Amino acid sequence: MIRVNNLLKSVDTSEGVLTILNDVSLTVAKAETVAIVGASGSGKSTLLGLMAGLDGATSGDVELNGHSLAAMDEEERAILRGQLVGFVFQSFQLLPSLTALENVMLPIELKGDPEADAKARQLLERVGLAERWHHYPNQLSGGEQQRVAIARAFATRAQILFADEPTGNLDTATGDKVIDLLFDLNKEFATTLVLVTHDEPLAKRCGRIIKLVAGEIVSDEKNEDRVSA
Amino acid sequence: MPDTDVAELNGHKPFKSLFGLALRLLWRDWRGGELRLLFFALVMAVTSVTGIALFTDRLEKALLLESANMLAADRVLGSRNLPPELILREAESRGLRTAQILSFTSMAFSDTGNMLVAAKAVDDSYPLRGEIIITDAPFTRGVPILSGPPVGEVWLESRALPALGLSVGDSIYVGEAEFSVGKIIIAEPDRQAGGMVDNAGPRLMMNLEDVAATNVVQLGSRVSYRYLFASDDLAQLDSFEQWVRDEYEGEYRLRDVRDESEEISDALNKAESFLLLGSLFSVLLAGVAIALTAKRYGERHYDYVAILKTFGCTSSQIMTIYLSIQSVLAAIAIVVGCVLGWLVHQGILQMLKTVILVTLPPAGFQPYVIGSLTALICLLSFALPPLLALRETPPLRVLRKDISQQKFGAKVPYVFGLVGTVSMVLWYSQDFILTSVLVIAVAAIAVFLSIISYLLLRSSGSVGMKAGSAWKLAMTATRRRRKQSVLQVMVFSITIMSLLILTLLRTDLIDDWQAQLPENTPNHFMMNITQPQIEGIQQFFEVNGVVGNAFYPLISARVTAINGDLPDPQGDLGADGEANTLTESAQSDQGETDEAAAQSGSQAEGRGETRVRGRLSRRQVTWADEVPSGNRITAGTWWGENAEAGYVSIEEEYAGWLDLKLGDRLEFEVNQQLVSAEVSSFRSVRWDNMQPNFFIIFSPGTIDHLGATFLSTVLMEREQKILLNDLVRLFPTIVVIEIDALIEQIQNIIAQVTSAIELISVLVLISGGLVLLACVNASLDERFHENAILRTLGAGKKLILTSLLIEFASIGMVAGVIATLGAEASRYYLQEQVFEQDFHFHYWVWLSGPLIGMLVIAGLGVNSTRKVVSISPLNVLRRL
Repeated sequence: MIRVNNLLKSVDTSEGVLTILNDVSLTVAKAETVAIVGASGSGKSTLLGLMAGLDGATSGDVELNGHSLAAMDEEERAILRGQLVGFVFQSFQLLPSLTALENVMLPIELKGDPEADAKARQLLERVGLAERWHHYPNQLSGGEQQRVAIARAFATRAQILFADEPTGNLDTATGDKVIDLLFDLNKEFATTLVLVTHDEPLAKRCGRIIKLVAGEIVSDEKNEDRVSA
Repeated sequence: MPDTDVAELNGHKPFKSLFGLALRLLWRDWRGGELRLLFFALVMAVTSVTGIALFTDRLEKALLLESANMLAADRVLGSRNLPPELILREAESRGLRTAQILSFTSMAFSDTGNMLVAAKAVDDSYPLRGEIIITDAPFTRGVPILSGPPVGEVWLESRALPALGLSVGDSIYVGEAEFSVGKIIIAEPDRQAGGMVDNAGPRLMMNLEDVAATNVVQLGSRVSYRYLFASDDLAQLDSFEQWVRDEYEGEYRLRDVRDESEEISDALNKAESFLLLGSLFSVLLAGVAIALTAKRYGERHYDYVAILKTFGCTSSQIMTIYLSIQSVLAAIAIVVGCVLGWLVHQGILQMLKTVILVTLPPAGFQPYVIGSLTALICLLSFALPPLLALRETPPLRVLRKDISQQKFGAKVPYVFGLVGTVSMVLWYSQDFILTSVLVIAVAAIAVFLSIISYLLLRSSGSVGMKAGSAWKLAMTATRRRRKQSVLQVMVFSITIMSLLILTLLRTDLIDDWQAQLPENTPNHFMMNITQPQIEGIQQFFEVNGVVGNAFYPLISARVTAINGDLPDPQGDLGADGEANTLTESAQSDQGETDEAAAQSGSQAEGRGETRVRGRLSRRQVTWADEVPSGNRITAGTWWGENAEAGYVSIEEEYAGWLDLKLGDRLEFEVNQQLVSAEVSSFRSVRWDNMQPNFFIIFSPGTIDHLGATFLSTVLMEREQKILLNDLVRLFPTIVVIEIDALIEQIQNIIAQVTSAIELISVLVLISGGLVLLACVNASLDERFHENAILRTLGAGKKLILTSLLIEFASIGMVAGVIATLGAEASRYYLQEQVFEQDFHFHYWVWLSGPLIGMLVIAGLGVNSTRKVVSISPLNVLRRL
């Protein structure tokens, strides 16, 4: 499903070349749940961005469902994202001028699906916000906003879901509820989930934990003690 | 093997579905308030441009119509000889309306007296433009009529009736024919046309068919023929004019009102330039407003696009969506703007209905086209760049907020904006000078601001927000937002500069017009007065309560030598010098010049040469103790009270033409005697003030003994004109030239263009105000955010409001100073090059420019941001 081969990402700074990811390789199987953990600055978000095709690597390659991202330009990567990938962000990234319903409808509409409204309502109901569909993001709490974002992430039946610190902006109780929802839906739709976090309990809910230190994988283990939802 | 078929990944989405999505996004954006500012800026652009264009289009047509009334036609062909009939036939075959006039001076007799009259024989089509006002009793209000007298009847001006002891219905004799007095003429459209000599005496109008019976016009008689032409199709008139020029190789030439009256032509040209400048500024300001709002829209959509891209939207799909949104928005703005523009122009007309006395012709489609194209050009040049920048948004931004716009964000928008502005200004003005003035002024401000930003950059050594005092807080905020501050100063400067330029030009233009023809401008010339008659005339005026003016001696002279050599004129004289002075037109027979010119082979140079020779051969000169009003010494000195004989003062352009220097010794031939005089001064002369003006003035005692007649001017109100009869009866040798109708017409036209100018200034002022508001709004987000944080940290209302006040006031003051500088520099150039006015420093502007900038910007800024202290900080932070 996802194959990362010898991925290298470096940037030029005033003090010389800074390597953010160094020779990272890994494979994620279909429907697997993977947590990428590490301290701030370890390169985990950069790895997530490269795996999702949001950015280009300096060298190495990422394959999503057999499609090599290295061979694609941004336009082709966008098309691939539209077909395969869903996202959940730390800062929710809901569009402020759209209601909850419209935010969920947006990716469905982008696919040209005429049933965007019905599908979005169904998902909002699934995340427990059926009554709040007409509310704007600034009228929702952080937890509610993240639930809308999760509904949006599953709206196009994406095969791979990338989540960047999904509970980073939420208190523990709310965060737990949101994560329950995320894993429930993930199971329901059999989605491959890659999430970046430094929240240990959250990481422990994934089937596999990859630890990054200074841009390199220092451990990649199956999580035998996986906490079931 | 890939799990997904590649064909599924082609990303192709039909335009229809993208357009549908764009429409939904448009509606959601609109509802969320994101698009409203941009939409209003677009509507403002279309409204102001369409409104002004509609108004100027109709007003210009009306002014041309009004001016055409002065000729009683759109074009006139005048000659001392009967022009070929073929010209009339050709005009008729081209669908032009035509009329014929024959003018001559003749004695008219009644049973009790006789007087010299300015006779004018007209055919049945006369007048083609304007109307004759007639009545049955002298000096009463009349009614308009659209044709001249029938055969066998003459119409007289009021003054002629008491002089000849006549009433309507009585008989009058011209030459060998007897006529009945049919009506009394109160006004006729082309009263002043035909030269001064044709207007010596009250008008007698007759039918052209009656001329033969009078037997007055014989071979060699001094008459003038005029063919009149009119058409609503300007192109047809132009092509006919060209035909006449080609067919007769310049022997005959059609004249329009601009050829006929330099004063009116001048007023019309200046008004047109001003209205044009007003429209240019309003377009420029609308463009700035669109640029600002589009930039803000683009910035606010930066995250939006990043998210769309993570959902799989390609750059080209993003462009399709945003271009669709903008196109739909523009289409709606155009419709709304055109309707509002129409309403605005109706409002203007309503306000001006007491001033605009003529019926305005309907406007064409062009103003709507101009308004619509403005919206499109504004959108392309100002709104497209931020949208193009959106296209380049990296999707990684969803993960990393620190990633800002790349490539396109930097320079391209400025290039687009610059190219768009220059081409728009050039397109509107069709005038390279106006365009270059505007572009140079704006570019100069940009350079100046770059230097200021550099200086600010160097001085920003301080750290933190310095939240301890309002003053320091404001200053560090200005520095921290250096880029935005400089941009704001730039926009404010350009706006204030535009408003200052227009206000100053308006004031100068109107002052200049008022100075040209002040209320008490004398409206009658008296010529051919002998020295012994002067006292009697003065007494006559005193007895009758008329205020007379100075008497100028008038004598004909010719320059024969300069420092002993033959004169060698340098090229052509300027426009003012080319025209005969009023005194010369009256004294000499103007027709001769025209005729000579016509016979010389037509071309402009040909006429010029003839005029050069004519000018050298004979001029009307005078002598005077004091510098005449409207004259200014530009070099040398004027003789004082103890003037000595033997000096001469020369008009500066004429002096340049003859390559004269102070101290040169000129030889003149005056009444067959040679006179020598030294050039002691050069003068500038205000030629358009309808007063006696002279190229050459001698010091007293130089030519006094050579026999001169005198010339004077007098202001006579309509009801005093009857006195002219007594005046010419008491002093039968003097010739009275009546220019009251001309002055009245010029004053009317000037009053109209003045109102138009005032109104355009107000419209531009409103546009400017809206731009200022848009610019303040554009920086609101950041200010809201910062101040919300400050408030959460415990900053008081007073501290925040005072710091905002200081920040906006200082930006406003800097903008005011720069705007004043730019306005004065542009005005200098505009007045020299476009409006042909003398540049005067307006000292008050240097104080009021910065002060107004400070007060207005501070007022608008604080008013828009004061919400930051009334809304809870949490609300502000959550909203952003």
